[in-house]
Formats: sequence, C-alpha cells, structure tokens
Amino acid sequence: MVFWKEFLPALFSGIVATLKLLAVAMPASVVLGVLLGTVRVYGGKIVKTIATAVVVVFRGFPLTVTLLILFFGLADFHINLTPYWAAVLGFTLCGGSYQSEYIRGAIRSIDKGQSVAAKALGMSKTQEIIYIILPQALRRALPGISNELIYMVKYSSLAFIIGVPEMFSIAKTFNSQWFMPIEVFSILAIMYLAMTTIVTLGFKLLEDKLKIPSTI
Amino acid sequence: MDNDIVLKAENLHKSYGKVKVLKGVSLEIRRGETKVIMGPSGAGKSTLLRCLNLLTKPDKGRVWLENVELTNPKVNINKVRAKIGFVFQEFNLFHHLTALENVMIGLTKVKKLPKKEALRKARETLLTVHITEDLWDKYPAQLSGGQKQRVAIARALAMDPVVMLYDEPTSALDPQLVGEVLQVIKELARKGVTSLIVTHEVDFALEIADEIMFMNDGKIVEKGPPGEVIFNPKHEVTRKFFEKISKPYGVGKYGVLERISPSII
Repeated sequence: MVFWKEFLPALFSGIVATLKLLAVAMPASVVLGVLLGTVRVYGGKIVKTIATAVVVVFRGFPLTVTLLILFFGLADFHINLTPYWAAVLGFTLCGGSYQSEYIRGAIRSIDKGQSVAAKALGMSKTQEIIYIILPQALRRALPGISNELIYMVKYSSLAFIIGVPEMFSIAKTFNSQWFMPIEVFSILAIMYLAMTTIVTLGFKLLEDKLKIPSTI
Repeated sequence: MDNDIVLKAENLHKSYGKVKVLKGVSLEIRRGETKVIMGPSGAGKSTLLRCLNLLTKPDKGRVWLENVELTNPKVNINKVRAKIGFVFQEFNLFHHLTALENVMIGLTKVKKLPKKEALRKARETLLTVHITEDLWDKYPAQLSGGQKQRVAIARALAMDPVVMLYDEPTSALDPQLVGEVLQVIKELARKGVTSLIVTHEVDFALEIADEIMFMNDGKIVEKGPPGEVIFNPKHEVTRKFFEKISKPYGVGKYGVLERISPSII
C-alpha cells in the first residue's frame, strides 16, 4: 500500500527527530533543575532571586508561548535559533523549572542533622552540598524527576508549532493528506507510550540501583 | 594561653529570642582531661557544646582552641571544626554512606588524605571503637543504635581531633545498648583523648570524670570532683537534681550508685 510505504519511513525520521530533541533536553533539564533547586535553597540573595524568577516565568508561561517567543520573538533581536535549538531550549527551561521544585523539596526534606554533622567535620558549604546533601536529595527526587521527564516525552510534540519535523508533526501531516486518523494516531500513541515506558523502566532500575540498603 | 589548656570558653552568652539559654559560661579543658557536664533539660548544656565549635554562634563571649580564637571572624571556622570531634545525640551518620565511608569522607574531603591512607586510618579507627570488619560495608539503616553511635565516634575520632565533644551520646539509645557506647568513650578517655561529655549517666560520670560541671538555667552552678558534686553538692539545685535522678519514682530503696544501674561497667 502506498500510504504505508510513505508513512513508515517518514514516521521513522520523525521518531529520530523526537529522540534528538529529548536526548539533549532531558539531561539538560535535569542539570538545570539541580542548579536552580540548589541555588534556591543555598544561594545568596541575588542568585536566589534570579533562580526564582526563572522558575516563576518558565513554569508560568504555557510551553507553546515559550517556544514561539524563543523562535520568533528572539529573531526580532537578531538571535536566530533553529527550530531544533529553540525547542531544546524551551523544553530545558520549562522542564528544568519544574525539576527544580522537585529538587528543592527533596533538599528541604533532608534532616538537619546531616548538614550539622557535615559542618562539624569541617566541611565547607560547597562540600556539604556536593558530598552529603545532593546525593541524598537526588535519590529522593528520582520519582519526581522521572515524572517530569515522562511529561517531556509527551510535550515534545509541541515542537511542531515552530516547525520541528518530529513525530507528531509527521503524523499530523499524513493524516491531513490521507485522512487515516485511527492508523496514524494509534501508531503515534504507541510510539509515545513506548518512550514513556522506557523512561519509567529506566528510572525504576536506577532507583533500585541507588537505593540505600536498610533492614527495615 | 596556658599551653596545656586546649579548649577555653569565656563568658558565653546565647539567647533565642527572649529566652536566655546561656548566661555567661566559662570553662577550660586541659590536654588529656575528661570533663562532664550535667544538669536538667533546658539548662543550656547542648547549646554550650554547640557554641564551642560555633555550630551555634554565641551572642557574646569568646572561644579558643589551642591558640586559635574561633570567635574571631577572620578565622576559617571549617579548619578549626575539623580539629574538634563532635558526637551527636542522634548520631547523624550520613545515610547514603557505609560505616567505612562515613569515617573516610572527612579524611578524604576535609583532610585531603590520599584514599589509601584514609582507608587504613578509617579501618584502624573503626576497630578502636569495636566495629568489626563485617560491619564496615553496612549502611547506617542496617546498624543498631549502639553501632551507629560507635561509627559516629569513629568518624569524629579519625580526624585526630584536639578534643572530643559528646552531646548526650547515649540518650537516644535503647537501655541495653548504652553500655557499649559508654565503654568506648571510657576507653578513649583512658587513652588520653581529651573529652567534654554532656550526659545523664551518673555512674559513668563518677567513674570517668576529672571534673563535673553542673549546669542550671544557663550557668555553671558548681563544679568539682565528681564525688563531691554528686554526693556532697554545695547548692540546693544540684542536690535536688541528683536526688531526683537517683530516685526517679520517689523511692530510693538503694543508694545512688546501685539505683541508677545499667550504665555501670
């Protein structure tokens, strides 16, 4: 059938494009989230305010608006991002802002004694954060982090509005040409489901691996 | 400062809001000495201990470790803290590290010892507190309270501190585990580790202390040899305190020593 012959290779290229977006935006959003979250707990007044502003803005803006601003808006200031990089940046800022809240919450949940013990040993604030607080906080934040990354798999579809040829835009185009919504969108849905499942399983493995042994 | 005096505090004051917790406390410890601080809850014992390594910042007063004034804002407090061992009531072991790693982390990150040397030192110190090899790779959540506190003592001790401060080291332990921790503290003190101990264990204090300081209401009310302070106190509040803890139910069937029981070793 002609449809399948055309659709499957196109879908494949769409999958590759989606994966390329996620491969950068996922780790970048986690790194940004850790930075923002940590700074919001431990930072000085100025950096704390900046970090808080970033979170408020990019958590407050609809992602579509963020993407349009990054792609079309910045072009007015002669900052020309390709659709791909505008999408990566948008996902990173949005995802990172959400991630930072999980991280911040996890840091706050670490009992005070850990920090006091680190200080009593003679650790500097930075050493305390890196060697004592974050290793514990990140473990606690894992379920939240994976949750947000699963969202990102799905909202990566929004990159279509700035013209990234990712898998949702491919599916949309094919459906308009052939009008085969059941075929097109169920296959698309299965692709997203496969990706979110991989993230879920990956994090399950990571959580098990990093679990701190206990007798209780 | 007298060369023998390793830790000295002068006129420490601390308030939380309107509550005055410390109202001018001074003390000195000489090298190799063991001093015990006793007194009712709320007397300011823990606050005093925390002021000595500036975990709590005193509002007024000065603290010296050897010849360095900690309360001088120019002093790098992290460097000084590395020389003061601190043992907490709640152990505060690092949950994500094994017993061995808990002892090593200060050595590698703060003292910057090479890993091999830190490992050797950590193992040796764990053995000193009777944590045997089978426990080295256990995480805090896999250890008993007594084991946790001994690992915590090792963590502090491995840094070769000038003085060890113990903040009610056995108060969070089940009664049957108190002995093993007191035993370790006693052994260390006997080996000449300078120690300042806040405790409610009267028998232990009697046995180990060169001097008992009795605190009440933010002040050191009296101090002296343990037998004197416990059995022959000068002040009414001291007498009442020791009477109460020797007869927790109001009946003193046995003498002080026998009655307070399980801590005697």
